[in-house]
Formats: sequence, structure tokens, C-alpha cells
Amino acid sequence: MRFMMLMIPAGYETAAPDALPPVEAISAMMKYNEALKDAGVLITLDGLHPPSSGVRVSFAGGKPVVTDGPFTESKEVIGGYWMIEVNSRDEAIAWAKRCPASNNEVIEIRQVQEMADFPPELQQAAAGFSELQGRPER
Amino acid sequence: MRFMVIVKASKDSEAGVMPGTELLTAMGKFNEEMVKAGIMQAGEGLHPTAKGARVKYSSSQPAVSRGPFNFNSDLVAGFWLIQTESLDQAIDWMKRAPFGGGAEIEIRQVFSPEDFGEALTPELRERGARLQAEIDKQ
Repeated sequence: MRFMMLMIPAGYETAAPDALPPVEAISAMMKYNEALKDAGVLITLDGLHPPSSGVRVSFAGGKPVVTDGPFTESKEVIGGYWMIEVNSRDEAIAWAKRCPASNNEVIEIRQVQEMADFPPELQQAAAGFSELQGRPER
Repeated sequence: MRFMVIVKASKDSEAGVMPGTELLTAMGKFNEEMVKAGIMQAGEGLHPTAKGARVKYSSSQPAVSRGPFNFNSDLVAGFWLIQTESLDQAIDWMKRAPFGGGAEIEIRQVFSPEDFGEALTPELRERGARLQAEIDKQ
């Protein structure tokens, strides 16, 4: 089963556009990332620039509306993610608990939808999509 | 440049309401265009938070809670990873996504090693490159 581990760093919602994580944090996180890789569970990972340098596109009306960050009403924002392949949510939780995160940070664990999770009619409508991405149908 | 396009959750997505065939088909076509243009690297939907969990870090043991979580506009329902020349190009592409009313996406630039400059020591840079090479091999 694939899971996303979404890192919700404390205070990232107010980080400056050019904010960078401190070197010590990068170093500790690198060890953790390597442990995930060595265990064969890491699929991929990325860090994200702060929301203050991002944009939102809202499709409320007929035309899409673009708004620049920062987004003052957001209390929790994503700072990065890992995608892992494990056998259960409990296993994903166990891995998340090992992350060298800082106090008051949160990792949200979410199961990735696979084609097989959808009823047959929906699978048909989305057929061939996994091949498009260069992945075998799951 | 790489961007993560975060699709915000809705009450429907959190309730496990599946997208209709029409939307799925339109989304499939949109994804196909992005893949053919060499823009799209990944695109996934996430199961509702009911199937998820959160790990919160503190000075003692991390605290685990299982979903569902209270609905808020920061929850994530899915994402794309795209590669474009600029944020403007990413926005131009994503404005064409076949979302109905009420949908909102957030576009965030993904960190690359160059973004860190001097802060990334040669050792960390090398370990990062090695990790990325392993990831890309999969």
C-alpha cells in the first residue's frame, strides 16, 4: 500500500519566501531519508518552498482566479512529503514516529488511491492512466 | 522547475464521494495533455483522512491519532507533480484543469539542491544526489 507522509512544519505558514531549513535539520532528515531507502520503503520525497512564494487557483466561478501567497487564514501548511510503500497504516505510522521532526510538528499519513480501490465503472473511465505515467496498473 | 500542485479537500472528498464519470474522463484527458507535453511527473488522489493518521511530535513520545480529522480548508485530497519553465507556466497549465465550482489548488515550488546554495555542505549534497539517483532508478 502506498502512503503519503505529509510534513506539516510548525510556523511554515508565516515563513519568508526565501526561508531555508537549518543545516542541522537537513542532516538529521537526510539520515532518516536514507533509512527509509535502505529499508526499501521509500518511493520518493520532496521539500516545498513556503506558501508565501506560492499561489492558489480557485475554480469557484466560471473563470479560475489566481491569488498570491502568503495565505493568512492557513493554520497548517505542507512543507514536504514522503511517499512510501508499506503493508499497512500501522507500518506507515511506525515509520512516521521515527522522523526527526521538531516539537509541535505534525506528519499526516494518507493512503494513496490505487486504481483497484475504485469500482469497475470508474476504473474504466480512468483506464490507461497508470500506463500514461509509466507505471504498471496496480 | 518542479512544482507540487496540491488539491484541497472538500466535504465531498472527505466523505468518500467518488468523482463522476464525466469529471474523471475530463481529468483523464487533461492529464494526458500534460503527460504528452512533458509537464506531468505524477498525479495521485488520497483516500479521505478517515483512512489516515497523524503523528504529533513533542519532547516525549510522538502522539498518534487516527482520522477522520475535523474538516478545514488546509486538508489535502490529491496532488500533481509538474515540471515547467516557470511558475507562470505552471499557473497557465493548471488554470486549464477541468475542476468544477468550489475547487481550489495551491501551487508550490519544489526544493532543488541549487536552492540551498552554501547552506548545503558538499557531503550533504553528495548524499542527496545519491539518494535521488536511487529514487530515480525505481
